[in-house]
Amino acid sequence: MSAAFKPYRRARDMGTPASESERIVTLTIDGEEVSVPEGTTVLRAAAEAGINIPKLCATDSQQPFGSCRLCLVEIEGAKGMPASCTTEVREGMHVQTQNKRLADVRRNVMELYISDHPLDCLTCPTNGDCELQDMAGAVGLREVRYGYEGANHFDAEKDTSNPYFTFDPTKCIVCSRCVRACDEVQGTFALTIDGRGFASKVAASQDQPFLDSECVSCGACVQACPTATLTENSLIEMGQPEHYVVTTCAYCGVGCSFRAEMKGSEVVKMIPNKDGHANHGHSCVKGRFAFGYATHKERITKPMIRETIHEPWREVSWEEAISFTAAKFKSIQEKYGKGAVGGITSSRCTNEETYLVQKLVRAAFGNNNVDTCARVCHSPTGYGLKATLGESAGTQAFDSVMKADVIMVIGANPPDAHPVFASQMKQRLREGAKLIVVDPRATDLVRSPHIEADYHLALKPGTNVAIINALAHVVLSEGLEDKEFIEQRCDTEAYQDWREFILDPKNAPEAVEAETGVPAENVRGAARLYASAPNGAIYYGLGVSEHAQGSTMVMGIANLAMATGNLGREGVGVNPLRGQNNVQGSCDMGSFPHELPGYRHVSDPAVRALFDQEWGVTVQPEPGFRIPNMFDAAVAGEFKGLYVQGEDVAQSDPDTHHVTAALSSLECMVVQDLFLNETAKFAHVFLPGSSFLEKNGTFTNAERRISPVRKVMEPLAGYEDWEVTQLLSNALGYPMSYSHPREIMDEIARLTPTFTGVSYEKLDKLGSIQWPCNDHAVEGTPTMHIDEFVRGKGLFRVTPYVPTDERTTPMYPLLLTTGRILSQYNVGAQTRRTANVSWHDEDVLEIHPHDAEQRGIQTGDWVGLKSRAGETVLRAVITERVMPGVVYTTFHHPESGANVVTTDNSDWATNCPEYKVTAVQAHKVTKLSEWQQNFETFTEEQLEFLRQARAGAEELG
Amino acid sequence: MDVRKLVRMANQIAANLDYGPNKEQVVYATADHLRRFWSPSMLQLIVEHYRSGDAELSDLASRAVARLAEEQQNVA
Repeated sequence: MSAAFKPYRRARDMGTPASESERIVTLTIDGEEVSVPEGTTVLRAAAEAGINIPKLCATDSQQPFGSCRLCLVEIEGAKGMPASCTTEVREGMHVQTQNKRLADVRRNVMELYISDHPLDCLTCPTNGDCELQDMAGAVGLREVRYGYEGANHFDAEKDTSNPYFTFDPTKCIVCSRCVRACDEVQGTFALTIDGRGFASKVAASQDQPFLDSECVSCGACVQACPTATLTENSLIEMGQPEHYVVTTCAYCGVGCSFRAEMKGSEVVKMIPNKDGHANHGHSCVKGRFAFGYATHKERITKPMIRETIHEPWREVSWEEAISFTAAKFKSIQEKYGKGAVGGITSSRCTNEETYLVQKLVRAAFGNNNVDTCARVCHSPTGYGLKATLGESAGTQAFDSVMKADVIMVIGANPPDAHPVFASQMKQRLREGAKLIVVDPRATDLVRSPHIEADYHLALKPGTNVAIINALAHVVLSEGLEDKEFIEQRCDTEAYQDWREFILDPKNAPEAVEAETGVPAENVRGAARLYASAPNGAIYYGLGVSEHAQGSTMVMGIANLAMATGNLGREGVGVNPLRGQNNVQGSCDMGSFPHELPGYRHVSDPAVRALFDQEWGVTVQPEPGFRIPNMFDAAVAGEFKGLYVQGEDVAQSDPDTHHVTAALSSLECMVVQDLFLNETAKFAHVFLPGSSFLEKNGTFTNAERRISPVRKVMEPLAGYEDWEVTQLLSNALGYPMSYSHPREIMDEIARLTPTFTGVSYEKLDKLGSIQWPCNDHAVEGTPTMHIDEFVRGKGLFRVTPYVPTDERTTPMYPLLLTTGRILSQYNVGAQTRRTANVSWHDEDVLEIHPHDAEQRGIQTGDWVGLKSRAGETVLRAVITERVMPGVVYTTFHHPESGANVVTTDNSDWATNCPEYKVTAVQAHKVTKLSEWQQNFETFTEEQLEFLRQARAGAEELG
Repeated sequence: MDVRKLVRMANQIAANLDYGPNKEQVVYATADHLRRFWSPSMLQLIVEHYRSGDAELSDLASRAVARLAEEQQNVA
């Protein structure tokens, strides 16, 4: 058994949250002297001393509630028996946790609970892991004198509407832990205690089935339930796990730490790790429940090859697939030149895997034609933050938000796309932090239970830079800037240039009001609020980067933060919320065609010399192709071979017609993936990938946190992804001989100044590490730029507003903007193969009632959505979440073809596509678009080729 | 590769870097950006396009590409 495998036991629960006070109080519990921070409860102080006071309604993820009366104690000088969960420690306090009187009361309390609880323990799903059962044992309950004939809840009906958990109210003890988990931890407020007295019961929304309620299925209630009232269906089906492994979620950029709770090689439950530094024991519907894709029947576990994409696949051995690929790539390079091949790394793969793919390209292919999917999401972040602050990364830890006084969220939708961080942010907002939302849509953050934005700047898509300049204009023209910070920390000359630019009256909120659609007074109010906050923090997402001026906007955000002194300490900062789990890591690992690992330009001879020496090759000094350049070159017949690991460019990248034309013109495309995704339908070689459960490695989340990914089961296809890259490299004649990803990380550490101190040993010891981690920061760096910016002086950059070419016209009078939804992830390859489709089984078009009425469109109608790039058809949902003139959709399902409509417009500096702005027309239709009809035919043909491969293998087998 | 797309990209880069009276600085920054982020084959294509007397490059982008053309000539 691997050292990472731990025998299963429920994570220890300290009863109430830890106190952060620095003042220490000493008391005596059962004769033992105990010292704890002031504000600690007696229950927790006892737990820290190893004394377990019985409890049911208390749990350390929630504030004390004091309802179950089981944790009663006696305190010298105090009357009666106070609940230890609601009693804070005092200096010199003497506490007794066990005596005859307490034992009698506790036994009586349990007797009452059990008188209305089914005694089916032996067949109960939580048998062996039930707090109620434990407490009955702990208090020595031996009889229930009341009998079971009286009033009870034994006939209450189960709610099985949620695909992942079952609500069995017969087992409920109404401790409110589920309700409080929903309120305090998740912040959705979907659950309540309905009724009074004996009729009290847990209800979702308006006493609805869970699936129809406001419940977002994060599972915090299931985790909090001390009985079998809320239970994972997987646990009901499989029984208790027997061991667990701590690993890292493969979904969004929050990078939650999980305990994969296992039975043999099968996952029973994914339970968020209480010690997880990014998530502190919380999770969302994807991370906790949507792991079934890893063992989905559509997983491809045999390598396949074919000569052309118009013929059936042939299942072959790994050896044949690898030698076929190597021969093809060699022949392409001989025929068309060294630069005619390239590779795409993935933000869904580990650091070690992406590092190895870029090494393969630079060392074995001998060019710099490597790029990553961050090209189409956060490449402007890399460019903009490097240009201003000196490092291509966010400045804070997630926990920093708990010290923010004003939070500005720009072009991001955390409750949908970064749900666990959203819960933390909402906690801070409920504590009183102010909120500014800059977004064309009224996202859930703008108004949801106990949350209301102080300002919602609902700007027209494409006018971000005009807004950020206007906010800065207010700051400078009203004297709200932090002069001391600017003088001490920033480049003076650059500041003066920027100041002069920003103070130009054309940047005033009043001057840009017509362009942005945002009332000037709101811009002024928001700027004053942010600038005058003791701590102002900016969080942003793809609504910033995926624009023609994405990079300019990132620099504008950094300018605003510098001008107001909101950098270099906790509670402030510039925080890009990364879409996928390893966007930060894939960028760090040198996946860009112009940068070696650690964001160092390939033109730097000193940097190249390091890699030349370590790798034993000559790294090319000039940038290679970016992804869109690869496609353009492919269409032009100059680029012929592509190795794609873990990406689905045919679905995720813009202007599908162009992308598929490019892919169709390749002579050899190799796709390494879990499934026959859209890109693989254009491939000549399919190399089966391994899921995050099947490999070792690391992911780096949005806060630069490197977290371990640990293998919990053997790779279904026999190899971890890094091993496949290694096989390919060896076949191409460039030897690689790693025996474990830890050796790859050691090489990364040798070559990358910000990773010098990173090792698997240290990760095992610390749990996770935020880079930079080196001699200057041995245990990592939660907050960057503390005393000085990475580049020395912060550099203000002038950010002229250049309107996008993508403007509405009489032919295309609406603006399409795209985004994400909670239950689905990116191209949906994973989440569409889970029960998450219960919430979102198709992409829909959101349209404002005014625009819908003009076009005679009603909710549920088929709507043709047409741009200059192409046309697709989606079902309409009429909503005021979008403003008039703007329509919105998601791209989680391939057949919806959102990217058939998006164009090749892109960010000026990085070519990040302008997904957020496409001029379109919408009209009612009765049939699918031509593209969709062709897509159906092509998909059916490709699936038939797959079926034939499998049938062929069976015949041979 | 479609040179029209490269022309559009070069124009976009110059337009976004265009601020202030010192246009030489804008030309310098545009050329530097192209050098740092474009592959040699893309640079070669736009330089050839410039040499063929293109009229679609904006004034600033054209001056930036002229610099690259000059550098290439000097190297040659």
